[in-house]
Amino acid sequence: MSYAQAGALLARSCGPDINKFCSNVNLGEGKLLACMDGKINQVSAKCKADYATAKTSIAERDAAQDSIQEVCSADTARLCPGMVPQDGNLLSCLLQATRVVSDRCNAAITNAGYR
Amino acid sequence: MTSPLTRLALAALLAAAVPAITPAKAQTALSDGQILKGLEGLSEKAPTITAQQLRSMVQTHMAQNPGEALTRPSLALKLDQLPQINVQIQFRLGSAIIEPSSYGTLGAIADAMHNPILHGYKFIVTGNTDVTGPREVNLKLSQARADAVVSALVTVFNVNPTRLEAVGLGEEVLLDAKRPTDPINRRVQIFTVGRLAPYVAQR
Repeated sequence: MSYAQAGALLARSCGPDINKFCSNVNLGEGKLLACMDGKINQVSAKCKADYATAKTSIAERDAAQDSIQEVCSADTARLCPGMVPQDGNLLSCLLQATRVVSDRCNAAITNAGYR
Repeated sequence: MTSPLTRLALAALLAAAVPAITPAKAQTALSDGQILKGLEGLSEKAPTITAQQLRSMVQTHMAQNPGEALTRPSLALKLDQLPQINVQIQFRLGSAIIEPSSYGTLGAIADAMHNPILHGYKFIVTGNTDVTGPREVNLKLSQARADAVVSALVTVFNVNPTRLEAVGLGEEVLLDAKRPTDPINRRVQIFTVGRLAPYVAQR
């Protein structure tokens, strides 16, 4: 799930509850999170579930994006030798070489949302 | 002769290529792909600008143009050469609280900033109001709103804080200078302003 999808899911499932219970706190700095946690017994079941999903999805996407450098290091050394990372050139190189890139690296690129 | 359909397609293509001047309604629906297109491609020859310089430009403009809101000139930032986007983020009335309806847009901005094409870059996020309400209040509000956007990008969507700075431009930089009270002027602008030092931890 992309960050945009996670944000949209949160808005769709929790928007009414946020406006009802937490309309005076902002999204950032964990403030909305703290407020929603405090009201967790009052929010709708759908919001409770999708709120958890959105949080997990954001964490997973972030972890996948961070993992690429390490997971794909052997592939980049083999397939994109001497390339200095800049402006997405390493990713373009790996995407062009998809058929010979390792399964782990290909999976990381997919999970990062870069395909 | 170009068929109407081709011309329409061309117009759509041109609109997509210049997100900075896309009308407000289309901006709300900017996809992360369009945001990426808008923010990539910073040229070596582009002017350099800092958050501090922008703030002084606003202060100077306010001091030199004390006139009535409807007739005084809009501040020209002269940053057309920088990659940039205009987005409509919905805030609660007179407040910096971001409406849930804009969470998806914030996520789309984060998706673009997390793309390896933009990994190595820094951005300035500006807040802008229309000329309704007191000028000083609008300046404070626009700073609080730009801060709220940066805070959400950093703390919810994991964008590296060293890549972002927030600047409130108040009501000084109008998108439509002929209609200073038009809500189209309420917007968040994002400029790509420079590279991070190489090999800095990138997220």
